[in-house]
Amino acid sequence: MAEIYFTKDHEWIKVEDNIGVVGITVYASEQLGDIVFVELPEEGITAEIGKDIAVVESVKAASEIYSPVSGTVIKSNEDLNSTPEIVNEDPVGKGWFYEIKISNNDELSGLMSEEEYKKHIGD
Amino acid sequence: MSEAYWGLEQNLKTTPLYKIHNNNRAKLVPFAGYYLPIQYENGIIAEHNHTRNSVSIFDVSHMGQIKISGPMIYDAMEKILPISFSKIAPGQIKYTQFLNSEGKIIDDLMITRAFEEDHVWLVVNADCTDKDLDHLYSNLNKTYKIELIEDRTLIALQGPNSSNILKTFFQEIDDMPFMSADWFNYDNENFFISRCGYTGEDGFEISIKDRYSEKFISKLLQIDGVKLAGLGARNSLRMEAGLCLYGNDISSSVSPIEAGLTWSISKERIENGGFIGYEHIKKDLKNGVERKLVGIKPLGKLPAREGTQIFDKNEKTIGEITSGGYSPSLQAPIAMGYINSDILKNDCEVLLNVRGNLIPAEITSLPFVEHKYFRGNK
Repeated sequence: MAEIYFTKDHEWIKVEDNIGVVGITVYASEQLGDIVFVELPEEGITAEIGKDIAVVESVKAASEIYSPVSGTVIKSNEDLNSTPEIVNEDPVGKGWFYEIKISNNDELSGLMSEEEYKKHIGD
Repeated sequence: MSEAYWGLEQNLKTTPLYKIHNNNRAKLVPFAGYYLPIQYENGIIAEHNHTRNSVSIFDVSHMGQIKISGPMIYDAMEKILPISFSKIAPGQIKYTQFLNSEGKIIDDLMITRAFEEDHVWLVVNADCTDKDLDHLYSNLNKTYKIELIEDRTLIALQGPNSSNILKTFFQEIDDMPFMSADWFNYDNENFFISRCGYTGEDGFEISIKDRYSEKFISKLLQIDGVKLAGLGARNSLRMEAGLCLYGNDISSSVSPIEAGLTWSISKERIENGGFIGYEHIKKDLKNGVERKLVGIKPLGKLPAREGTQIFDKNEKTIGEITSGGYSPSLQAPIAMGYINSDILKNDCEVLLNVRGNLIPAEITSLPFVEHKYFRGNK
């Protein structure tokens, strides 16, 4: 079964075996407001933990997305090219950003559980 | 994700409408020393479209309201501003700029010639209020009284339905043309109402005593179709209307000629001079300027923000974007920025360097969305 982890910077990653799906949290999408563009990573590029990997453009501003783990990007969510607003509608579901082949599963231990993340945002 | 919007600063002021903002689930952000709503619960795009289609209320209380009074007030103001009071009727508003001795913009503002001959009324940018007051004190002698009005809330009511709404309180406003102002009474309170705005739509700015503003705004909000809109929509609306934002598109390093604001300078004053910065303005008009403010349409969907470099086909820098974002009306990115004047004579195809991606863009004239000001009943 997939497990979900969170970063303090409001990204989530759902992990099954050593494949992760990455997106931004409900809290982040609410803070950003209307999202009008997502600059996605190209397939095949190497992601480094904590480094910027994508950019979300809301009506307000551009915000960088940091990769929760290191690895290789194996797929980007192409639906976001034509309908970026699905990040607002379903940030932890259809609004995912990219799929990553995780290079080091130990990095997951540095991430937050759902409970810890809820505490982090003061929910 | 990078921290763009979390964490609120301390020691910020609130406006008299703070309670209304909170009750309407505003997302408050620090802006010009105040907590102001960037948006309410429906979001910027919805607020933007509602303003274009109906009517919205914006809290603009952070802006500086200044009353200047004294003898021969028009002569005194004409030494500071490139406008001609002989061409401004009583009750008329003018858009103008304070210029420094280099002919660059200290601030842009609205000035109203009052019906009484002893004073004028100014609305200036929040962040510039202090330096504007310094500028006024150093250029007006002590016979002039300069008052920063600190007991009045300022709101903007903007959109095609704004006059229908407002005339239920003030019947006479229906006939007021764009860029005129007057005092009105309602419920034993006085209101200073100006038919102007920052959205390109018909609309009003309403100055209300703080003690009555919450009550009045609540009455407006009870009317079907009247909604609140925040700073986010205010910015996308003014960009579509091609209106300059001080600090972005104009600043103390930009001349009004470069910014395309020549129309706001009185022809008579250009001939006769006698205002601060005149020599430079005259020179800019005679010799032309090296860069000009233009509209820019990035092709595709990626918005290009302020600071984005503009390249020619050979990837040589030819300008910079000063305001940029997403246009809800055009459902596409739009931007404003400065481009070397010699480029403008020929090619209108440029490239925008957005985080290393070179995005083709088209140079266009402003505005992006036509103004719909009320010019009077024919």
